[in-house]
Amino acid sequence: MKTAFGFPNLAVEVGMSEVESRRAFLEKVASTVFAGMVLGGQPVKAGAEPAKVELPPRPPDGPILPELEYEDVLLRMQRDLERALNKGTTPKWVMVIDTRKCVGCHACTISCAVENKLPPGVVYRPVVEEQVGVYPQVTWKFLPRPCMQCDNPPCVPVCPVGATWKREDGIVEIDYDACIGCRYCLVSCPYQARTFDFGENWTQNTPGQGQMPYEELPTFEWGEVHVRKEGVIPNSPVGNARKCSFCLHRIEHGLLPQCVTTCIGRATFFGDASDPESLVFQLIHQPNVMRLKEELGTEPRVYYLV
Amino acid sequence: MLSRRELIKLGVLSGSGVLLGEKATELLSKAEAAAQRTPGFYPLNDPENQIYSVCLQCNTGCPIKVKIYEGVVAKIDGSPYSPWTLYPHLPLDTSLEKAAKVDGGICPKGQSGLQTVYDPYRIRKVLKRAGPRGSGKWKEIPFEQAVREIAEGGKLFAEIGDERVYPGLKEVWALKDPQVMKAMKARVDEIWHEKDPAKKKALVERFKEEFKDYLDALIDPDHPDLGPKNNQVVFAYGRLKAGRSEFFKWFFQNGLGTVNFHGHTTVCQGSLYFTGKAMSYQLAYDEKKGEYTWTGGEKFYWQADLTGAEFVIFVGANIFEGNYGPPLRVKEVTQGAASGKLRYVVLDPRAQKGVAHATKWIPTKSGYDAAVAFGMMRWMFAKGRFDARFLSAANKGAAKAIGEPSWTTATWLVEIDEKGFPAKLLRMSHLGMAPEVRVMDGKEVVFDHPVVLVQGKPTPVDPQSEDKPVFGDLFVDTTLNGIRVKSALQLIREEAFSRSLEEWAELAGVEPEDIVWLAHEFTSHGKRAVVDIHRGASQHTNGFYNAFAWNVLNALVGNYDHHGGYVRASTYDLVGKKAEGPFYLDKLHPKKLEPFGISIIRHEVDYEKTTLFEGYPAKRPWFPHSSDVYQEILPSAAQGYPYPVKILFHYMGSPAYALPAGHTQIQAMLDPEKIPLIVAFDIVVGDTYLYADYIIPDLSYLERWEFHGSHPNVIWKVQTVRQPAMAPIPEEVEVFGEKMPLSTEAFLLALAEYLGVPGFGEKGFANGMPFRRPEDFYLKMVANLAFGEKADGSDAVPEADDRELEIFKQARRHLPPSVFDLERWKAAIGDEGLFRRAVYVLNRGGRFQAFEKAIKPDGTVANAYGRQINLYLEKHAKSKNSMTGKPYWPLPRFFTPYTDALGRPIQDEEEGFELTLITHRWITMTKSRTISNYWLLNITPENHIAINPEDARRLGLKDGELVKVVSASNEAGVWDLGPLGKKPMVGKVKVMEGIRPGHLAFALGFGHWAYGASDMEINGQVVKADPRRATGIHANAAMRVDPVLKDVGLTDITGGSVVFYDSKVRLVRPTPEEARTYGEGVRRVALEGPAGVQAEEIREKALKAARGELDPEVLRQEVASRLGLTPKV
Repeated sequence: MKTAFGFPNLAVEVGMSEVESRRAFLEKVASTVFAGMVLGGQPVKAGAEPAKVELPPRPPDGPILPELEYEDVLLRMQRDLERALNKGTTPKWVMVIDTRKCVGCHACTISCAVENKLPPGVVYRPVVEEQVGVYPQVTWKFLPRPCMQCDNPPCVPVCPVGATWKREDGIVEIDYDACIGCRYCLVSCPYQARTFDFGENWTQNTPGQGQMPYEELPTFEWGEVHVRKEGVIPNSPVGNARKCSFCLHRIEHGLLPQCVTTCIGRATFFGDASDPESLVFQLIHQPNVMRLKEELGTEPRVYYLV
Repeated sequence: MLSRRELIKLGVLSGSGVLLGEKATELLSKAEAAAQRTPGFYPLNDPENQIYSVCLQCNTGCPIKVKIYEGVVAKIDGSPYSPWTLYPHLPLDTSLEKAAKVDGGICPKGQSGLQTVYDPYRIRKVLKRAGPRGSGKWKEIPFEQAVREIAEGGKLFAEIGDERVYPGLKEVWALKDPQVMKAMKARVDEIWHEKDPAKKKALVERFKEEFKDYLDALIDPDHPDLGPKNNQVVFAYGRLKAGRSEFFKWFFQNGLGTVNFHGHTTVCQGSLYFTGKAMSYQLAYDEKKGEYTWTGGEKFYWQADLTGAEFVIFVGANIFEGNYGPPLRVKEVTQGAASGKLRYVVLDPRAQKGVAHATKWIPTKSGYDAAVAFGMMRWMFAKGRFDARFLSAANKGAAKAIGEPSWTTATWLVEIDEKGFPAKLLRMSHLGMAPEVRVMDGKEVVFDHPVVLVQGKPTPVDPQSEDKPVFGDLFVDTTLNGIRVKSALQLIREEAFSRSLEEWAELAGVEPEDIVWLAHEFTSHGKRAVVDIHRGASQHTNGFYNAFAWNVLNALVGNYDHHGGYVRASTYDLVGKKAEGPFYLDKLHPKKLEPFGISIIRHEVDYEKTTLFEGYPAKRPWFPHSSDVYQEILPSAAQGYPYPVKILFHYMGSPAYALPAGHTQIQAMLDPEKIPLIVAFDIVVGDTYLYADYIIPDLSYLERWEFHGSHPNVIWKVQTVRQPAMAPIPEEVEVFGEKMPLSTEAFLLALAEYLGVPGFGEKGFANGMPFRRPEDFYLKMVANLAFGEKADGSDAVPEADDRELEIFKQARRHLPPSVFDLERWKAAIGDEGLFRRAVYVLNRGGRFQAFEKAIKPDGTVANAYGRQINLYLEKHAKSKNSMTGKPYWPLPRFFTPYTDALGRPIQDEEEGFELTLITHRWITMTKSRTISNYWLLNITPENHIAINPEDARRLGLKDGELVKVVSASNEAGVWDLGPLGKKPMVGKVKVMEGIRPGHLAFALGFGHWAYGASDMEINGQVVKADPRRATGIHANAAMRVDPVLKDVGLTDITGGSVVFYDSKVRLVRPTPEEARTYGEGVRRVALEGPAGVQAEEIREKALKAARGELDPEVLRQEVASRLGLTPKV
């Protein structure tokens, strides 16, 4: 059912490749006025894309810019990440969010949504915002809230089919083929980190009919290719509980999670807590560190600097 | 078999229990397996799947990388090569492979761009209206038909029973001879320079005689200064950047010869720009005029350099959500603020998000912020805390001597006339000194220099002299040769001392202590303290003078051109001017028309000089010191002043939505008798183009070419390139025998082909190269950028090597041949080496100066302004306000906001309109054009009207309640949308501590009536609206209509800005019918648990199991049994 590298053979699975179906649709409505009636994008030449499947290149060796006295923290963390991947033992991923740098812009929320093509209802990383104080002593509080990837995750034991589990690297994973969509994990999470994919689409009640090109693209979360379709489609997240994966599919390639890279305040940090030389190690051992709902004993792997 | 989702919906799960149980067992070993897994398929960060370009979800224009998969834009991230998105940014010579792995930061709008470009409401074919303007009825027509109809005119709408004859371009493209046009322009200049009315009239007669063969090409031979009929074609634009701008000028100005090519600056921060222009005129030799005069004023402004600042005062600048712009500036603020290196203060009636990390929020009264500036100045003058050394430098030589790139006119002496008006500069000749005479270009030129006192002795100043430094006395108030004179700085000090500190504080609505604290802190960081101003300061009737006061405050600490001080933008040349090649656009037009005449917005000319002068007030205001006066375009055209418009082209703008009192703009468009033909270019049917006659589908920002340039706070020299990154949505058309996507360019090229406009086609360029396609033009500009600014080529970027060229090709494999064809792209540049350099630039989305090059060792910025800064504006003093007949005030001064076109205060408060309405942006919305972004709407599904609890209590309003906004000029509180009906301005109250009492605020971007927010009819079929696009309120129609002009919002007559932040309104309860029109926004987050389950109980058990206090298997089986699952053993 899958090719050697986790890329499903869609022609087998759905009878017709995405490209072909897109083209067929294009021909059907080629005379219409609105883009929504046509799925834009140039059809890729048949056969060109599947042949491209290959192992990803190795991450770049060494620091990217050793000559600079200082560097964007994104580069530092990317180096940390590469080191963690190459050290030979399993890294222990953590995320650190500096609330003093968050500006409540929600770029992380959206970047995550686009990276994972999240449909209506599914939110992996909301940012809670609140204006506080009394005029004129007013300020704002911002709290990004991804999945805490708890070391004691309540969502795992509640799953009746074992579709979610704790990985050695700290991430709590979900298998979309195993999940039966019972939603017990949604209510068991004290952080509201899990939301449900009801199979809705952003453009379903528009001329786009829920089939605008980006809505039909496969996504790569959990290191697998997912086609978001209803019915018996392997790896389809429709009808599943969904949540933040720390962008596992990117980490594996030496890339930082998308909420980290797009943070315009550089408020989100990611790395290997077991590496004393990593930036996150330094940050989580500062005195101004806290975790959410510590008293519940969930042992979150997301830390906040206050 | 039913899908899982269907099973859940039906609540039937037991049937599949066996299978699922089996799977669960199989999965238990997955946790171990995962650790050894090879990385999954992830192609998005491979260089051959990325195209570098520039965002346009707002005008910050962050450089981006567009990630493509399966021929579709799959993700957008920030470019690592640019200072917008990475800090420090990667060196330009970083390999594409390395850069591909580094994603920079962009804002939520940038991230969400897929939903702008893949918007189901995008149009693919030309739409022609099939009902009255604004009816929302359209018909799609063939491209060729649209070209023919707009070129020829005629009974274009006979099909819908309209027998009017509409004009065509053929009719208005009347004067085609460049020589004649040039000669006419010279004669008109003579007419304008003649002051004697009788002689002026004689010159007009002479004009008519001289050009008697061409009189039918003129709008009105008795007023030759209106120019040719060509001027009755107007091109107006919203968001237009370099490249496209040059292309459109090539067609409209150089081709069709119209003087009317107007932007939208005054809806943004026009008065800020035109303060910058006024302050940047140089007293120098003007080569064109051949005299020593005011020259080289630049339409620009300064901003704070946050990379080095220690203390920043943000005034009306929305630092986290707008302000050019969040990705670019926020990372510097947060890092500075968290480390304690940077402290900042926010002056704003509203507690914007920027107050989150600010030292202090000072809620000023809207429109009164300049009072804080004058209060600070007063304290600084009194305490002697200002940079006397910098201010004493009176010319370039003096600046150089003290290591300053720029100098001010603080010490220059100003003559005070008998009425006490600072009328003009004191010149050498006025003191009986013989002015300097120099031979310039073979001609004697008189340099009657201004004068300063040097230790009491009158001394001439040659402003641009490097070898004759002059340091003047700062405060001068004396009489010389019988002439009362004062130094500019003396006049500014007098203004600051015209009120007490307490009076300034009271005007601004702040505490005197705040002003003292601000002034003390501002003068405690040397040149690393800076005021950063934006729209909040400039969009008032006193906007020009607000901006002027704050700019002068910066001058008092001498922070111009310093790291951490007040800086400006710097961009690489695109038009080949500096290197005079490789493609010097100015010289490449084969038959260039140089338009002349009074523009439809009457800008950059003195009313009194023209043949239209007939006393004061003028029919509509004239704008000698500003341009791109957006709000004046449509009303002026509709009124036919100074002349009627025949064809209006409008590009990527939405004046009806974006402008204050936007409903007046709709009124101007409704009647074809007033503006006969309206042709619009956009990607959708927006809130304004709903009123067009034709809409030409355009390419979105990910499909087209453009050069986005830079912003004042970017200290690096840069140029960014927007280029085709996705396959185009609009249909393909054929022009000059070439296939290309329908776009503004394609349409203009087709018009040029149809009409035979010079400068296009087989030998469109003067060097014999063809201009048949958009790339024929744009790639030449890319080549210029790649070549650099040195004629010897020493400033060129490297050539792309074979590997880079291969990546370049691969990354474009999804583009159709009508967009990308390597051989054709090469041919547009010609030279293989130059093409490879262009590829190098395209592979990086532009050119960016190396990080370390922007700051000099002496603490000044490398790309400095480096010129004279005017604190006294002689050009203003010598020109008159066309409405009052009085001269423009030439110095910073406090003016009360909220005045009519005649400068009279508007007294709406007396009629019970007591609340000041202000607007702002959320980072999730860009005014008129992001409502299509559903991801963003899930963050902010609707906006609200923010009100202070004190006002809410007084008015008996509750949080969440619906209210209607009414004002003196819109007592009904509705948008009159013409045929579409009336839309009441109903919004939801949000009671918030973070707004100054007496003020109301709403975020722009909601309350649409088009852009997919209302049903349309296309080819007789209804296209249903999307209610998510019709949420919230847009209250611009409550903004004050000018009581004198009656058809436009309030305007800063000096700086041109339209007024956003002063209108007085009242909140009333809507009728039930009105309330029903309100579009509620819903945030969709699917957190719902299973039906009939006690969530608390499950959570408790799950937590216990998580902590090891309960056997996980027990819980798992409990849940399984609740669901009716029976695991197979």
